[in-house]
Amino acid sequence: MAKLTFKSSLEYSEATFSWIVTAGIAVILLLSSYDLWTQAVRPSVLIIALVYLLFALLQLGLAWRIRNDIARSGAIRSSTRALGYIQLLSLFSGNLFITASALHLIKRDRNTEYTLAVYTLLTGLFVIAISALNLFKPYVADTFLPAISLLLITTGFHLISLLLVARFMKGRIAAPWLSPVAILLILTSVTGNLFALLLGINLLIKIRHNGKPATAKWEEVWGKLTRSTTSMIGLFFIVFLFSMAVCSYFTFDYAMATENNYSAILQHPSLAYPLGTDNFGRCLFTRIVFGARISLIVGFFSTLIPVVIGGALGAISGYYGRRTDNIIMRLLDVLYAIPGILLAIAIIAAFGANTFNLIIALSVGAIPTYARTMRANVLLVSTFEYVEAARALGTRDLLIIIKHIIPGSLAPMIVKSTLTIGAAVISTSSLSFLGLGVEPHIPEWGNILKLGSTYLESHSYLAIYPGLAIILLVLSFNFLGDGLRDALDPKLG
Amino acid sequence: MKPAATYAKMYADPSYKYFLLLLGAPVNLAALVVYWVQRRKDAYHVLYNETHAALLESDVKLRIEAETLEQLRCKMSFFGETLSPERLRRQVESVTADKLRQQAVIETERKLERRGVSESSYVGVVQNLLARPIFFGFSLIAGILMYALMLVYSNPYVKYIFERIVMSLFVILGVSVLVFTILYLSPMNPAANILGETATDEQIAQFNRIYGLDQSYLVQLWNNIKGILTFDLGKSFAGNEQVTATIARKFPITLTLTVISLAMSVLIAIPIGILSAMKRNSFWDYSFMFIALIGLSIPSFWQGLIFILNFSIKLHWLPATYNPQNALSLIMPTVVLGTGLTAAVARMTRSSTLEVILEDYMVTAKAKGLNQRQILFRHAIRNAIIPIITVIGLQFGAMLGGSAVTEKVFNISGIGSYIVDKQFIPDIPSILGGVVYTAITISLINVIIDVLYAFFDPRIRTKMKHY
Repeated sequence: MAKLTFKSSLEYSEATFSWIVTAGIAVILLLSSYDLWTQAVRPSVLIIALVYLLFALLQLGLAWRIRNDIARSGAIRSSTRALGYIQLLSLFSGNLFITASALHLIKRDRNTEYTLAVYTLLTGLFVIAISALNLFKPYVADTFLPAISLLLITTGFHLISLLLVARFMKGRIAAPWLSPVAILLILTSVTGNLFALLLGINLLIKIRHNGKPATAKWEEVWGKLTRSTTSMIGLFFIVFLFSMAVCSYFTFDYAMATENNYSAILQHPSLAYPLGTDNFGRCLFTRIVFGARISLIVGFFSTLIPVVIGGALGAISGYYGRRTDNIIMRLLDVLYAIPGILLAIAIIAAFGANTFNLIIALSVGAIPTYARTMRANVLLVSTFEYVEAARALGTRDLLIIIKHIIPGSLAPMIVKSTLTIGAAVISTSSLSFLGLGVEPHIPEWGNILKLGSTYLESHSYLAIYPGLAIILLVLSFNFLGDGLRDALDPKLG
Repeated sequence: MKPAATYAKMYADPSYKYFLLLLGAPVNLAALVVYWVQRRKDAYHVLYNETHAALLESDVKLRIEAETLEQLRCKMSFFGETLSPERLRRQVESVTADKLRQQAVIETERKLERRGVSESSYVGVVQNLLARPIFFGFSLIAGILMYALMLVYSNPYVKYIFERIVMSLFVILGVSVLVFTILYLSPMNPAANILGETATDEQIAQFNRIYGLDQSYLVQLWNNIKGILTFDLGKSFAGNEQVTATIARKFPITLTLTVISLAMSVLIAIPIGILSAMKRNSFWDYSFMFIALIGLSIPSFWQGLIFILNFSIKLHWLPATYNPQNALSLIMPTVVLGTGLTAAVARMTRSSTLEVILEDYMVTAKAKGLNQRQILFRHAIRNAIIPIITVIGLQFGAMLGGSAVTEKVFNISGIGSYIVDKQFIPDIPSILGGVVYTAITISLINVIIDVLYAFFDPRIRTKMKHY
């Protein structure tokens, strides 16, 4: 019985997960702190590794304590919860897994808004921290100072709203005077901080419904999603990158990423060039930051296009059935038989390598999978009684499909598209790496990697960092997708 | 096989009816003549004509006529229409005639039922004929194609395999048309790319004539489809080599690579997935699933570069490029190629095992007193393996396509890197051949997997009996 109780405790499973991940990262860092090439130890990496190891051990102890608490009294003691404040320090080592777990441990009865407010603040802080690294550069963009002060003010406001939400938000009841705060929060989302947008919308909804669960589905989904650390961390990284992509217009200098600087060729990482420079003297760090933009754009559009086209085809063929279904699905079988990457290569071979063609090429190959998913859902939904009722009332087919069938069968599409944005990001960079993707002069992660791969022996960091960026982004989408699947439709898991 | 029964069943199946009539045209023609002859003196028709005539004479006709007139008047007044008496009369007549005919059919059938005679239909005639040894013997020679089709139809497994193969033939045809059309629409000019900027118009025209690029779309399409089916796609634009011969040389390399990494990933992933499902939410579950998620998120070219950096450049353990003579050089490419598949299969195994172990029959198995091991192997894995095989089949295709990137990283001269090398020109026959033959391989593998299901899954096997 006791065993079951602590296994079902969210705090316990989060603590376990975070110490395992942190220990894993610590081991990887430890391994890379020893340079096989020169047989020397890199002190900076070793220190970070030891910090991670320390936090992993602390977290392990904390997990053990939570387990004992629950086994003994069925609840976590306040003294154990207080220990979470120590673990909050892990934020400075950039360890979000432990930070998130600590934040959840500290507040006993947390709600969706509290979690969203925390992540709003974290996103702002991370964006400022990353942008501030530009201060070490020889020069900064003209708009750097005003932009960064605006960001600081916004983040200060986010801190205030976090405190307000933590204090005045009880359960699902929000104080009505919070609505100007909510509107301001929505306005601050122009910095790309989508958490602020979500928080604002959530607050407005709660204020409007005054504690009555009018939008049960929306609340339930966000409730479940915010309770799962991994999906929130995934969402955090995506929002962070998005916000970076927006803010970098003002805080980063595009010339650093594209213009040659022959006085700083192939420099190793330093404060001015946090990830070093490439063979043209371009700052790798700035290039990776700008690369996020193109990866997000290509990933988003090459998912959106097949979702719309495949979804429409799937809905039509599922709703009308018989001959329509047969014709559409047999034609899509043809597309389905060609592996996505090969079809993309063939399309790009025919029409040339550029971003637009890349998006089209990746989209075409993904249409059949979405059509199949949608068709299966529509087949299920169109047997429901409310669809029959609508038909009996004489509603036109098109209206039935748009108003009743598509909303009812959207959940698996959302999950699938989140999971495949990651795959699209990988395909984009793979094709760029082959010279078939984004134009070579644009700083895109695959392009940066392709360039770095020629310096693998002497300057391996040129190939390692862009790859890490790709992995983190794809991993985030996979985390988010898994979380969405659990939140939207537990049966899919 | 009972030819008569099979014929009747196929005749009722709309997707086979026309093939049956077409392939057995001589037999069907003969049967049709017999049918027409029989129809004349058939009991049904004689009786029907009698009944119909009797009805025309009786007062039933007058009653129906009056009824119809009344109905039409009501209808007209409701819709506010006016019809000339002439047209009204004609409408009444035609409706009445229809109704009388229906009435006659019903009455005839009632009478026949009383006597125990059935209506003679075309299928009935054929069935009767086939039961006669002489006709059957003749039809065997004349309708040999039809009997072949009937043989296929009569066995559910054979029919299923046959349909699956026909379907993939259409898919292969579609793939060829699609890929060729994409390449045909290309605004690129291979002639100018190969001959260089200094090429004159005559040289370009000459090049286009040699490779048939000046012909119309349909002619080129036909030639290419014929080429794909006869394994003769002509010579490549650059390098002047036989396309199919080159593909035949490069394809086995890719296939070996994929098969080895497939075997490796299945051997690793399935035990991991089962272990994670059995020890849900434990340390091992978290670790394995986190690693699997990273495996899904890692771009293969980056993984390849990191492997080369660590194991070849720094440690000197493994060679950085592939060499057919050196088995050690296979390790890194297969691991890189198999990572995504391993991750996907491990995740799928976990979720499908989790689903299975919550089923009622697992409780039954436990209640029967089976031990953990028997439950796992006899009941859990056997049921969980079906969706896993589907994922493996799907991923195998992705792997064949995705091998292009891995091959480029490790400098392997497989089909993937061949297509990538040829796309800059674009070398139409080479790309077409590479993509289409890969798609054909994938389709064939999917057919084999589907057919294996039909044999091994008892649930599908039962369904097949009614197929």
